[in-house]
Amino acid sequence: MAKLELDRLAKTFGKHQVIDGLSFDVKDKEFVSVLGPSGSGKSTLFHLIGGLYQPDDGDIRLGGKSIVGQKGAISYMPQSSTLFPWRTLEENVLLGAEIAGNVDRDHALSMIEKAGLSGFESAYPHQLSGGMKQRASFIRSLLSPQSLICLDEPFSALDEFTRQEMQQWLLSTWEEHQRSILFITHNIEEAIFLSDRVIVLSDRPATMRKEFQIPFARPRDPSLILSTEFLEWKKEIHHSLRTL
Amino acid sequence: MVLILLLIVWEISSRMLQIPDWLLPAPTLIFTEGLQGWSSYSPHLFSTIRLTVTGFIIGSAFGLMVATALHLMPRIREAVYPLLIVSQNIPIIVLAPLLVIWFGFGVLPKLIIIVLVCFFPIAVATMDGFRQTKEEFIHYMKMAGATKRQIFWKVEWPYALPSIFSGLKISATYSVMGAVISEWLGANKGIGVYMTLASSSFRTDRVFVAIFLIVVLSMLFFLLINQWERWVLRYQRKGDEKNG
Repeated sequence: MAKLELDRLAKTFGKHQVIDGLSFDVKDKEFVSVLGPSGSGKSTLFHLIGGLYQPDDGDIRLGGKSIVGQKGAISYMPQSSTLFPWRTLEENVLLGAEIAGNVDRDHALSMIEKAGLSGFESAYPHQLSGGMKQRASFIRSLLSPQSLICLDEPFSALDEFTRQEMQQWLLSTWEEHQRSILFITHNIEEAIFLSDRVIVLSDRPATMRKEFQIPFARPRDPSLILSTEFLEWKKEIHHSLRTL
Repeated sequence: MVLILLLIVWEISSRMLQIPDWLLPAPTLIFTEGLQGWSSYSPHLFSTIRLTVTGFIIGSAFGLMVATALHLMPRIREAVYPLLIVSQNIPIIVLAPLLVIWFGFGVLPKLIIIVLVCFFPIAVATMDGFRQTKEEFIHYMKMAGATKRQIFWKVEWPYALPSIFSGLKISATYSVMGAVISEWLGANKGIGVYMTLASSSFRTDRVFVAIFLIVVLSMLFFLLINQWERWVLRYQRKGDEKNG
């Protein structure tokens, strides 16, 4: 059963066609990455799925039902930290649940602990490092009731070392919680390492250029990215991005 | 230090040059009057405090309400905001005689002056605070399916609080000034009355006592709001030593 389906989606801003006839799906409990050059309309795509924009054409369905223009159907983790500076970590993490109206404090605390953020429950965002903030943001998404989580380049602002650590952490957390994830990135390695499937977008207007099924078994080990097979995938995807 | 030196110079010169007391009384004379004259000015002082506090509370509440209402109705805001800015440049004090003509010498015109004086800084500061709310925060809230009310109380209001407090601090000092000036125009009680009586009977020492009381009152109000602000916005200070 396909969880999220995009059906011939199109969006134009003024004279610029940003997305043109984009179709793909994210299955239940699947991790799908969308890879594309910067400014290829990736963020617009999220805004369409999130219901902030109305598509010019096409349909977005979640569990078979159209969610076009409907806000709050997905859980969203933006690129930059949107933790509120006046809320403690615990209060921030609960925000998504609070909006939906079902707060489970104990669950939140156990998630904070598992994310290695124990002792920081009552810390404010300015006291946390970049990696900790993104962890908190991700927990916030997980604690929101929606079954599909959309991540918009969540690690792009982190340094390489933290980034790898975060990818590893994200994978283990996701494997445990089994949500569907749509992950936007411009980092090829990240996309291969994390995903079941990688979707390569063309430059403006964005259409699906190619789709790669990533066969690596889970749980995945960080050493994977140094294997020959991994590098072969990387080469192939890189090539597909080049020949657009 | 400089202040003490100044007082000493003042004291010595007024004695040496034998400046008459009605022109410039020595600091010691003012000081004794300040101590001994408590019973003569305390009723005036309390009357002014009551007037100031009442006017300040009504004015602030009014300012907050108008700012919130305008913020929630953007179209009306666009029309009214320039008007607010322009009217802020009218010294409210010049309206005082007009208000006396319309409302007589009772408490009402005095309250109206203070309310008007407090209203503008708070209304403008609050609206600016609302407008400056980070776009990403509102964005996140919308994606999460938050209602307008949730966006207001969970994001815009806390975001505007620092601005609101700077508005409150300006108004707090203005409100004392407003109260004194409104009392000059005609009242039977208050520091303004005490001051007018003192000056018309050439009790210059009392005029200085009045000035001193007004300054202290303004500072006290300011400090009170300042402390309140520090308490409400304590998240900004917490743990500044960590992570910068």
